[in-house]
Amino acid sequence: MATLELKDVRRYFGGVKAVDGVSLRVRSGTVTGLIGPNGSGKSTVVNLIAGVLKLTSGEINLDGTVISAEPADNVARRGVARTFQNIRLLPEASVLDNVVIGFYRLEKASLMASLLGLPSSRRESRELRERGRALLAQFDMSAYENVAAGGLAYGYQRRVEMMRAVASNPEILLLDEPVAGMNDVEARALGKIFARLAEDGMGVLVIEHNTRFVSELCQEVHVLDGGRLIAHGSAQEVMRDPAVIAAYLGN
Amino acid sequence: MMEFFLANQSVFDFFLLTLGFSYSQQIVLRSGVFSLASAAFAALGSYGCAYLVMRSGMPVALGIVFGALIGAAAGYLTSVPLARLRGVYQAIATLALVEVTVAVALYAEPITGGAVGFNGIPKSIGTWQLLLAIFGVGYVLYAMSHSRIGRGFDALRQDEYVAASLGVSSRSQHTLAFIASGLIGGLFGALQSMYSYSIEPHQFGFGFMVSTLAAIVLGGRRTLMGPVVGSAIVILLPEIARPLAEYRQIVVGAVLVIVVIYAPQGLADTFIAWLSHRKTDASAKTAAHEITGGSNGHA
Repeated sequence: MATLELKDVRRYFGGVKAVDGVSLRVRSGTVTGLIGPNGSGKSTVVNLIAGVLKLTSGEINLDGTVISAEPADNVARRGVARTFQNIRLLPEASVLDNVVIGFYRLEKASLMASLLGLPSSRRESRELRERGRALLAQFDMSAYENVAAGGLAYGYQRRVEMMRAVASNPEILLLDEPVAGMNDVEARALGKIFARLAEDGMGVLVIEHNTRFVSELCQEVHVLDGGRLIAHGSAQEVMRDPAVIAAYLGN
Repeated sequence: MMEFFLANQSVFDFFLLTLGFSYSQQIVLRSGVFSLASAAFAALGSYGCAYLVMRSGMPVALGIVFGALIGAAAGYLTSVPLARLRGVYQAIATLALVEVTVAVALYAEPITGGAVGFNGIPKSIGTWQLLLAIFGVGYVLYAMSHSRIGRGFDALRQDEYVAASLGVSSRSQHTLAFIASGLIGGLFGALQSMYSYSIEPHQFGFGFMVSTLAAIVLGGRRTLMGPVVGSAIVILLPEIARPLAEYRQIVVGAVLVIVVIYAPQGLADTFIAWLSHRKTDASAKTAAHEITGGSNGHA
């Protein structure tokens, strides 16, 4: 069981208060939504949690350990995985290699074993490729195993990015607009996968525009506007909130 | 056949030395560091080994080991300030390191012998020892590229942000790449000093740097075959173009331009990618078939 907690997190870019006092929790076993209009600071929140951006003030902790001062690769090794708003794959690498790199934080082969090609390192590499193939099968991507990821169609690239994040078996999974550009059928299919990951014990934070997708998937929703949280609660409560309606549609 | 080989044995030896230096250059490029420091590592290994063997009477084998270790230490020290730089800034900083190393070799005359360098080094390294070193280094690089280290390097080279988001530490991996580059560069520098009777500062200067870099550009920076093909071209082409006398470097330049335009991944890498493409094209076609068939079935 893991809990990610943001306490009064702020991030200013010069005079722009991109994130201005956000507090929220993501618990394992749940899907939490973070919605808000364009430019409300959603992606900045993801980048702050992932360690890509430094906080101006406040604190982020994972199970009580402060992670907000750590570089991005440390945060990832602690079990916080993410996807990117604009898909970022390793374009030259095959689909399988893109997924296998997701296992990186779980690998155990020592430096010497890796350099000398000892059986322990070779076995691990072989096993990870097998696990990668199993994951490809789960996401219906087996046929694309050896295709360079950069050449895939958009929807498939999204899936590869998702598989890579899931491969690291994270405690917390941050999804930055995972269904952007997808139709309702595709979005719903992906939503089922997220729900199942949460049931299996992952804590999922979904950043989205698509309010319908969020209301079907999330137990709890936070609404961000101008860097501040203006509402939180169940999806139904939030959608009825006059402040939220004003933020989305104007007064 | 045997006669031909014996007549060209020194060309083959130089090919092996160039190949070793190219591996030193390739390993950093593969991890996404644009370092040109291999020439400096080779110079340090070469001078270190020559000094230890000639001046303090160290056995040759031990001198070569120390040459490699000196290179590795230099690699580590270079990685510390360079961790803050990226891309072209790394290239410029390491270019400066190469020039400084040559300058020090020139002016620290009591230790390095100045412009004359070391002469009359007893030749104790031949083709077999060079081959052994290539196979040793080749094996470790092969094992490395199929391990988590190789996966981390490939991720870093293609997208550092993605690599970090998966837990790959650019700092430790780049340090590792620099140490490996220094070790390989130092090792082959030391072997060269024990192979070629004499060493002098300018052989590790700009020309050295350009030829190892050219070997990677020509062959490829991702596969182990890349430097093999690239070094062979860099060494053999001037020999083949010998009738052109002083114009023969033009041929090398022309080949370089043609490769950069038509096979920017390098000849070996392009060929290997083409082979695996043929394989995947076939499987992708079956896949497309299955998917259209599947969706019709569901509809």
